Amino acid sequence: MIKSNLPRPRWLQPLMLLSPTTLFLLVFFCGPLAIMVTYSLLEPGIYGGVEWTFYDQNYGRIFGWADGLYEEFDPIYLETFAKSVRLALITVATTLLICYPAAFWISRLPSRTRSICMFLITLPFFVSMIVRLYAWLLILRPTGVINQLLMSLGLISEPLEMMYTEGAVIVGMTYIFLPFMFLPIYASIEKLPGSLIEASQDLGASPVRTFFRVILPLTLPGVISGAIIVFIPSLGNFIVPGLLGGAKVMMVGNLIEQQFLYARNWPFGAALSFMIMAAMLFLLLIYVRVQSRSIGASRGEGV
Amino acid sequence: MHSTFSTRLLSLYGVLFFLFIYLPIGLIFVYSFNSNPINMMVWQSFTFDWYRTIFGFSAEVTEATLYVESTDQLIGAVQNSLIVASVAASLSTLLGTAAALALYRFRVRLEGFYRALMMTPMMMPDIVLGIALLIFFVSIGIDLGVTTIMIGHCTFLISYVFIIVSARLAGMDPSLEEASADLGATPFTTFRRITLPRILPGVMGGLMLAFIISMDDLVITYFISGVDATTLPVFILSMIRRGVKPEINAIASMLLMFSIIVASLGIYLRARSEKRL
Repeated sequence: MIKSNLPRPRWLQPLMLLSPTTLFLLVFFCGPLAIMVTYSLLEPGIYGGVEWTFYDQNYGRIFGWADGLYEEFDPIYLETFAKSVRLALITVATTLLICYPAAFWISRLPSRTRSICMFLITLPFFVSMIVRLYAWLLILRPTGVINQLLMSLGLISEPLEMMYTEGAVIVGMTYIFLPFMFLPIYASIEKLPGSLIEASQDLGASPVRTFFRVILPLTLPGVISGAIIVFIPSLGNFIVPGLLGGAKVMMVGNLIEQQFLYARNWPFGAALSFMIMAAMLFLLLIYVRVQSRSIGASRGEGV
Repeated sequence: MHSTFSTRLLSLYGVLFFLFIYLPIGLIFVYSFNSNPINMMVWQSFTFDWYRTIFGFSAEVTEATLYVESTDQLIGAVQNSLIVASVAASLSTLLGTAAALALYRFRVRLEGFYRALMMTPMMMPDIVLGIALLIFFVSIGIDLGVTTIMIGHCTFLISYVFIIVSARLAGMDPSLEEASADLGATPFTTFRRITLPRILPGVMGGLMLAFIISMDDLVITYFISGVDATTLPVFILSMIRRGVKPEINAIASMLLMFSIIVASLGIYLRARSEKRL
């Protein structure tokens, strides 16, 4: 609508504006991804390099068709992937439980306080991830804040072992991905018309019923967006399990890191990375679906 | 009665929510001034010694536990971070803004494709992008270093700038530009006199946020930095891996303050640009 009012420009202008960026991303984004996928189908060389022959054994090691001659199938890879999915799902659940009430609270605040709160929530996103994780190292360590506090209160006599547990990894991921969940939920709650909630209450619905029948369905697109945006970086994370999980809680990201930095089996590492990429692309498709449907729904409402 | 009670409960929850966000990073800052060299989480007395140590000055409490073995390494990492962030943020701001202008001000064929191309890098898990870039640079024979980090950062920073500038353009009424064109201004003049001044706060906000995201990036840099070119977050990671020491508190606190200042400025500029249309 806006565009149609503009005089029809020469085709050269948009081309000149668009082509450097397109070229850059085709070469340095699409190119590397294509090479990575290619690598996952090549044979690992003896000294860490790669042989340019087709080789399906990298995926065979993961999914079970490895012949046992050169490569061996090991269920540990699929198990680790499943564990990563589980930890990422728990992270989605905890961020959702923490953010939903908070977003509801902030959306009801007077506008000035609200914008200050929004600013305070966006800010940690820009604080280095490593600094934010380091804080939890100080808190959870055997000589950390929680143990010092509990011991000085006399509640425990020996420090609790909180580091190197799945709980620690979940706390770390929840903490760093909180803003990712908050912003889409807040956006959908803010759009929620207060009159609908009042109408539901006037018609005699209990608060619980109002929540499940009116509020939750209307904010569901925000919840789904947030869930996907938190799930994707959690799934492939290796910094959090590396620092807070140690050798006890390994995720698929740690396996990939090992293949590249220590085992030097790049094709196998590329195959593992491709699994994360495939999961991400699949979720992105759902995300686009949800987005376009919610835009369509809100347009329908307006008419 | 019922509603005031639940409102209070919700407010209490809100306070706890912000405590959860800010208490951990506040802890680092407070304990970076703690002089206890043996147990850094037990408060002893106030000191600047950890800050003095990382800048290479002598300090009383740290003599026995001197930890930052090379202040030069730290300074080198900070320099690399600043150089990479400046170049990557500038380049990605140029590329991202140009793409946003093209897609919002012109009819473009395959618009959906371009839009997806601009947005996907941001959604790509950083471990996948980091590894893909590592394989790419090594297989075409480019040595890993500061240049590869800059290129790597640009790929995903373009997405952020594109989104921020697009939001600005989507909210702008194009009639001023049309008027300018109708009055006979060339496209370039229209851009320089009308479009650019109006989108500039948004572009500057995007630039600062891109700068700080580049400064803070860990995962992609971790894979493509090579042996010699460490950035500050990678340096901090390797320090933490060798053992938690009070000096890390001081380094982390300084990075924390720097991030907060630059990001605040960026968020402020972006918010202002969205208000005054």
